[in-house]
Amino acid sequence: MSRSMGIRAAIVLAAWIVLVTFPQWSAFWESSRFAAGVIRQILIFAIFASSLNLLVGYAGLPSLGHAAFFGGGAYAAAIAAQRLGTDELVVSLGAAIAGAAVLALVIGFLAVRALGIFFLMLTLALAQMVFAIAFQATDLTGGSNGFSNVHRPVLFGLDFNAAGDLYVLVCVAALLVGLLLWRVTTSTYGRALVGVRENERRMRALGYDTRTLKLSAFVLAGAIAGVAGALSSYEFRFVSPNDVALGTSVTGFVMVLIGGAGTLVGPVLGAAVVLLIERVLPSQLPAQTVLGIVFIVFVVFARQGIVGALRRVART
Amino acid sequence: MIEIQGLRRDFGGIHALAGVDLLVAPGERRAVIGPNGAGKTTLFNVLTGELRATAGTMRLGGTDIGRRTTWQRARLGLARMYQRDELFDPLTARENVLLSIASVAGAYRPHRSPPPSDIAAADDILAQVGLADRASVPARDLSHGERRQLELALTLARRPRVLLLDEPTAGMSPAETERIATLIAALDRSLTLLIVEHDMDVVFRLADRITVLHEGRAIAEGTPDEIRGDRQVHDVYLGKAVEA
Repeated sequence: MSRSMGIRAAIVLAAWIVLVTFPQWSAFWESSRFAAGVIRQILIFAIFASSLNLLVGYAGLPSLGHAAFFGGGAYAAAIAAQRLGTDELVVSLGAAIAGAAVLALVIGFLAVRALGIFFLMLTLALAQMVFAIAFQATDLTGGSNGFSNVHRPVLFGLDFNAAGDLYVLVCVAALLVGLLLWRVTTSTYGRALVGVRENERRMRALGYDTRTLKLSAFVLAGAIAGVAGALSSYEFRFVSPNDVALGTSVTGFVMVLIGGAGTLVGPVLGAAVVLLIERVLPSQLPAQTVLGIVFIVFVVFARQGIVGALRRVART
Repeated sequence: MIEIQGLRRDFGGIHALAGVDLLVAPGERRAVIGPNGAGKTTLFNVLTGELRATAGTMRLGGTDIGRRTTWQRARLGLARMYQRDELFDPLTARENVLLSIASVAGAYRPHRSPPPSDIAAADDILAQVGLADRASVPARDLSHGERRQLELALTLARRPRVLLLDEPTAGMSPAETERIATLIAALDRSLTLLIVEHDMDVVFRLADRITVLHEGRAIAEGTPDEIRGDRQVHDVYLGKAVEA
């Protein structure tokens, strides 16, 4: 490990420890519990946005149907726990990952045949089909009522029912997903995804099966979105068609673009900005309008998102 | 090494390739010349699989490649240097070459970063094409001539058996043309070359044999001396090319 990489790893680890112990060291603050809840939700959506970023930012695949895997994972976790009558984390999280991955394999198999705007429209259309199924398959999904009273998980007798324990679970999951994505994006595989984004035709001429490469990224991103979906079902104890709806896909996309596509930190910052606007802004202010204005400002003035803007400042 | 028989490619009513036969021996350096619209680039596009043939057969080292995809043909040892740069702009010259090297073993290796042997191989190839001191420069910051050199490095990095060179000196200054022609002349003789080029000095210098395409057909084939003396070739192409 090089020295600069060691320093970076130390900074990330220190930041994570500060974050995971937040409920303890902020206990004196009257809003500590509320803030911890917001951080949990930021981390869950950071996982979701990061998985989408693997497609949008690295492989250059602008998916507008990523909520299908988030919501698909949430449904899979809730349904598996209910049908099998267990709260074991391994079961519900495993079902979420497997369910989202299989869904991503099916949708991706069709979508990676299209390019650019057609890819975008195809992912949108296929995700809307998943939404329709979630809405109409009442026996399986609860239809428009959704799944309420989802149980929080246990892991080998360790109960994550209390908000503080769930907080630790979400922090651990976010760290593991972050490490996985760091590994993936800095590997030969990650470079190959960037190659596809920059010049797919050239990649084919170099002997890369780009369609399979894109499909593999699609499935990996789907599986990680499934993790975020499962965590969301534990967090809100509720799964509804809203989780697979277009709005959730768009929210993920906005997080990636505001934070900075193609960077590891960007989607985390993007998730923080969006959720802080939605959850913390005084209720008199129209959150969606503020979010819209923030988004427009970034698209017009800082295409590379927060990370790109910070880099520009650091360079000058 | 390359066996092409009755190759046709139609665009609507236009016969871009109207039944081309071409036989290139292993290690041979063959130039394909002809006026604009003769079908040279279409021939390359059909050979690499970027365009489908309307009819005809293509073999590479004895393997029928007609139904294979572009990436499968690349894996059989076919590489192409594009007429326009087809580089990965944000990546450095070294990273560009590493992508090409990595394609041999496949993308699904769990290395966090490329193994030292790959990096050494990339630097060797960059030195071979004269870019040793530009390895860490992003492709987008290279000059036109350097980008062509990097383009050549990318095609060589996979250690191909057959190299298609599509106007390797297009848009270059005389000094850059000289450099790239020298680089190509110095390539391993075991490599089979198929060169499309408008610069006749370069063609006569590099080619063992020349095929002349005209309106989608091969109208003549021979050594550079035979082609120079061919009356028909002179009428349809060489006369104009030399005068121009």
